[in-house]
Amino acid sequence: MSTIEALYIFDEHNTPLLDHTYNGRPPASSTLLPLYLAHPSPRPSLIYLPNTNPSTLLYSIIQDQLLFLCPCSTDTEPLQILEFLHRTADALEDFLGAPLLASKIEANYDVVAQLLNEMVDGGVISCTEPNALRDVVEAPNFIKSLLGGVGLPSSTPSSLTAGNSGGSFSLARGASPRLGPSGGPGGASQAASTVPWRRANVRHTSNEMYVDIVETLNVTLSPSGRPLAAIANGSIAFTAKVSGVPDLNLQLGCPGGPANTIALPVFHPCVRLNRWKDRPGDLSFVPPDGRFLLAAYEVDLLGPAALEAFSTTTTLKSSPKLNIPATVSVQTALGPSASDFEVKLHLNPRFAGSKSSSALSNSGPSSRGGGGRGLSGAGFASSATQGTTAAPTVESMTVHIPLPASVKNVTDLRVSRSAGEAGYAPGDRGIEWRLTSRELNALMANDRGSGTSLDATLRGTVVGADADDLHDAENGGAGALSTNTYDYDDDAAGSYQSSSSSNHPRGSKPTSKPPNVETERKKMKVLMPSCATVSFSVKGWLPSGIKVESLGVDMKRSSGLGSGVTPYKGVKYLGVSKKGVECRC
Amino acid sequence: MESISRITNFIDTARDLTLEAARDASNARRGPTRVLPSGQLKKLLDSRSERDVLEGLRRVVTMSYRQPPSQTLPFFTHVIKNIASPSLPIKKLVYIYLLQHAEHEPDTALLSINTIQKSLTDKNPQLRALALRVMSGIRVPVISQIVSLGIKRGVGDMSPHVRRAAALAIPKCYRLDPSTEPQLLDYLSTLLGDKQYFVTGAAVAAFLDLCPDRLDLIHTHYRSLVRKLVDMDEWGQLATLRLMMVYVRKCFPRRTKKVRRAKLTNNGNTKSRGTKGFYDTESESEEVDVDDWEETVVLDSDLELLLKSCLPLLQSKNSAVVIAVARTYLYLGTPDYLSLAIGPLISLLRTSGDIQHIALYNVVQVCLSHPKPFVNYYTHFLVRSTDAPHIWRLKLELLTLIFPHAQPRLQSLILAELSHFSHSGSLDPGLVKEAVRAIGRCSQTTNPKTSARCLKLLLAHIGSADAHLVAESLEVIRHLIQRDPDSHRTTVIRLAKHLDAATSPQARASIIWLVGEFAGLDPENNIAADVLRILIKGFADEAEAAKLQIVLLAAKVYVHHLNANPPPSPPKASISPSQSRTSILDDLQEEGGFRDSHLDSSLQSPPAPLPEKENPHPIEALWNYTLLLTRYDTSYDLRDRARVYKSLLSTPSSTQLASLLLLAPKPVPQTPSPSETRKNYALGSASLVIGDEGGVGGLKGYDGIPPWVKEGKQPDPALRNDVSASSSSAQSAYDAGRTVSAAERLDSAAGGSARSGSPATPLNGDGYAVPSNGGGGKEKEKTLDEWLASESESEEEETDDDEEEDDEDEDEEDSSEYETDSEDEGESGRLMK
Repeated sequence: MSTIEALYIFDEHNTPLLDHTYNGRPPASSTLLPLYLAHPSPRPSLIYLPNTNPSTLLYSIIQDQLLFLCPCSTDTEPLQILEFLHRTADALEDFLGAPLLASKIEANYDVVAQLLNEMVDGGVISCTEPNALRDVVEAPNFIKSLLGGVGLPSSTPSSLTAGNSGGSFSLARGASPRLGPSGGPGGASQAASTVPWRRANVRHTSNEMYVDIVETLNVTLSPSGRPLAAIANGSIAFTAKVSGVPDLNLQLGCPGGPANTIALPVFHPCVRLNRWKDRPGDLSFVPPDGRFLLAAYEVDLLGPAALEAFSTTTTLKSSPKLNIPATVSVQTALGPSASDFEVKLHLNPRFAGSKSSSALSNSGPSSRGGGGRGLSGAGFASSATQGTTAAPTVESMTVHIPLPASVKNVTDLRVSRSAGEAGYAPGDRGIEWRLTSRELNALMANDRGSGTSLDATLRGTVVGADADDLHDAENGGAGALSTNTYDYDDDAAGSYQSSSSSNHPRGSKPTSKPPNVETERKKMKVLMPSCATVSFSVKGWLPSGIKVESLGVDMKRSSGLGSGVTPYKGVKYLGVSKKGVECRC
Repeated sequence: MESISRITNFIDTARDLTLEAARDASNARRGPTRVLPSGQLKKLLDSRSERDVLEGLRRVVTMSYRQPPSQTLPFFTHVIKNIASPSLPIKKLVYIYLLQHAEHEPDTALLSINTIQKSLTDKNPQLRALALRVMSGIRVPVISQIVSLGIKRGVGDMSPHVRRAAALAIPKCYRLDPSTEPQLLDYLSTLLGDKQYFVTGAAVAAFLDLCPDRLDLIHTHYRSLVRKLVDMDEWGQLATLRLMMVYVRKCFPRRTKKVRRAKLTNNGNTKSRGTKGFYDTESESEEVDVDDWEETVVLDSDLELLLKSCLPLLQSKNSAVVIAVARTYLYLGTPDYLSLAIGPLISLLRTSGDIQHIALYNVVQVCLSHPKPFVNYYTHFLVRSTDAPHIWRLKLELLTLIFPHAQPRLQSLILAELSHFSHSGSLDPGLVKEAVRAIGRCSQTTNPKTSARCLKLLLAHIGSADAHLVAESLEVIRHLIQRDPDSHRTTVIRLAKHLDAATSPQARASIIWLVGEFAGLDPENNIAADVLRILIKGFADEAEAAKLQIVLLAAKVYVHHLNANPPPSPPKASISPSQSRTSILDDLQEEGGFRDSHLDSSLQSPPAPLPEKENPHPIEALWNYTLLLTRYDTSYDLRDRARVYKSLLSTPSSTQLASLLLLAPKPVPQTPSPSETRKNYALGSASLVIGDEGGVGGLKGYDGIPPWVKEGKQPDPALRNDVSASSSSAQSAYDAGRTVSAAERLDSAAGGSARSGSPATPLNGDGYAVPSNGGGGKEKEKTLDEWLASESESEEEETDDDEEEDDEDEDEEDSSEYETDSEDEGESGRLMK
């Protein structure tokens, strides 16, 4: 059976922050940490430690630089434990405030202790829903205000002491929860809410709802620039600060229709699945109070026809083009000694920034056809469209070029047109090329009107590890002992048959020729970078073109929200690439 | 689904700064200033002011996390004194302290039991649940009976929270004192039938912990558990699915219908049946057709109920639940059901790295047995430069697994992908290796054309400057050739050509070995002898690995030569004495080992010219020449081997032993998919991830998937529907069930009064065992649907109540009642998780 035996938290310097043992006698954190650190990085989330007693399965996650460890002595469902660790991190963050910091945990051990005790009972995970936890544990900021009034029922509706209201203190505050519209049939107070994910008696002075849609790009481009895969992973984060029990309705729309676009969705338990099945894009739910992840989905930007385009067409023109702010291409083995490479960053003029003329094509009033989502091709609408999407701005553009381990140095790093700066120190495993948004804008401004993609270039020369040894070997060349394993006989590229050397078995090596250019190229090829990735974030733009059509409160079905109250609504879009656009070469 | 905090990370870009700033603050804060001297702390704890006590408790709890228990133990009595405090915050902190320290001071801890027991009857259900939890959590075996009594009281409690705490306390109580098991089983069977999904989830978890083998307790609750599955919280769903795994395997024999197929093969009925979904089964028969028309699995209606109620869980935000459903479908369902789970499985790959890693193992596991549905998701398996080794290893495996089922275009894409990583994967030598191996695996399963293409890809690698790539490619080529030697005759020749270009000794050695291995394949025009001739010229410059192989090649060529042209028998007879003489002499010399080399060679030389005065056969000459070369090599190993071969082959007429040794048929190498070794581990288990490293048969606590029960051995299916029979057999369960429904009745009555505006009147009475009903009105038993329905139509509620009084234990009735409720509403208010 699945049992959580203990939870250990370490801060960013790996000093222990918290030891909480639930069940059994798990190995101490002090024994586990060195074993965990001994595992070569990147460390998998599940490590088997056969040498501890008892042998241990060690689960780990890292959240906000804090390391969460959870040892298990028996076979469990690994994802269950990992999900639990994530939920723990979420709950702690929910109570202590984001970001989760070591100092916050240290200052609130009492709250943390209550949380940990509520979440796991005797090793069995019992309750991880943040709203349900709010019902039983008081958030730290309340405690301070309550210190004066210990023993009295608190004024906060989520307070536990409300249970006393039937007792001697009821006259003090008994009325307030009773007035609470969502108090419902329970009357005086409710220990737990009827909706398992929503805490009871929510009251807000200002009612607000925010939708944040974040899409992460995952694009792979073949050396020819053709997209092999382009997936946008979307997450809808929802912040509900609405009194009572609201029943909300969120409609998503996108060119091509949500049914065809949104694939493989997962939902918060509050979402009515049947509604989604009948009308995809339509989310109907009673939200938890506060911030939560409403749904996640993915969008294939290439569409199902991508594979057909792969090999029938060899020309670049016919391949689907992606509408993303930037792509990159790498050319290797340039220059006389084939030791140079060139990285080209292609910027999409559509994302020129502040100008209102550069509105997104897919947010224009004329929606394009079914397969067209995410693909460019239609001219972009010139009229300014809805607020946030009118002028998407590209930020923190970075190009990463990973290098093989055998590269010892990169010389002559040059960036054309002073577009950003490239960072590299000898021995690094990659080059980082950053462009500030100002530089990006300058670039865009230069080529305004040309309509084609705007390029910035980075060139460099790689120096391999054995470049020097290599020449030595050649000089020492023919006389080298045959026992030497570092034998350089591939200079003798000529075939055995054609070589006219004597039949004598102990004859010296075939006469060494001048260093073969081909061989040299081959050697350099090993040192060349094999790909480059672009990272950026664009506010007000989503790769999939999904947008929120409407967000409303179903007044008939919600309760506790005064009539005539319309909550303030806000919508934010963010398109992110975290080394997500990758070009191979 | 990603965790919310990770998404928040994306949105708040200014977060790094905050982190930075806060770190400074934390460093400053981590001073020793916060630790109070123990005297002062004790004073705080003994204080009459609740505020001080609370402050003191907070400090003690903080200390208990920062320091070993020896530091906080001195406060034990001071802390425990406060357990009777009326303040809930104080109580909670005392409880936390008690849970942590009771074991160290069992005797003092006993003093607190009485107070906790009192709390079990508190008005506040929260406190009752808490008290029950703490009491069972104190690891002092003496109190096991008290705990058992507490659980009994909790099982009959009105609050679902308390009942859940009771459920979770059951395994804890068992751990305290195993002799309480009979009573605990009694409580457990009651809780399993609880109407609240909230409670049953915990009860199932307790069941799995306490007595996973007592499936007889499950029968009566099977259907209600399955129906509640959707409404349970994610952890309850996990436990229930795990239970069902075992239950179904042990209670539903796998029924297949072969006869039917024979009947149906000829009429077109089969086709239409296959295309029809299994949703419209009510009118149709309940069978679901398997892909191949071999046999048809007949699903029990109860089993189908389970499979169907799992469907909504596939959209769960909890990845473990998705895997659990996939496991249910894989081991209990049919391929049709499984194909529904493929998409959700893939959706797990977009989550954070740690979950992605585990999910990939599970995806591979499903893919091993059912690769076809995964083909469409190939884009998710493309390796990215940012992937960690443990991720790309599995992705490459997936690519090779779907390869045989992919359409030609996709196949070429996959091959291009693999060769890309084999070329430029110099980023990571491991990746190169895996990619080459993956190409090899691709080639073994498909038609000859693709196979040839893979081979071409591999052959192109031989000239590369990357030693890893060359060595691995040759290894894979060797496997390919060995698997099908006849069709690869020309490949060997091509490889031999590559000897000119190949530089790495290992690669050369591999090629030479291959040439030797196939030296006898086509005696008329075999290149082996020629290759040997060319290689011998450069023998001195070869590396040792290659030299060893050259000698071996020479020996093989010579054996083949001898086998093909056995020396004529009369000369053999005449020669044999001399031959044997020399060999014996030779051996003697070798043993002595002190002979001068030139003497040795002079002895060596006679046999060659002796037999035939005319020129010896070129192969024989080559062989002798090779022996001569090796004799003066610097490597001991090489010389020794040459000596062995020499004595083996010293008698040209009797080559039997030599042939046995040198030309023994080699076993055909098998390169199964790497995860093939884990195929026997159950989906979703940790053993699947760890593999055989955790010991054969899985890690400790690993339970495999039980085999299907044999037809006729299964328990009577009637057990599952006969509720009255169960209640008569377990009287206590029935009693408890009545109290539960009483609570519901109270609740609904209170609900009605609240709606009419008056404050809740505590409805006591009816003589039920619930001790204090003051807080009864607070409790709510309804599901969300009911509750939503009640908002709009209160009359429904009333009729519902009446119904419930009549049929208290019949879940089916109830739930159908709910169904109609929501339908009456007419606005599809059914909420699903």
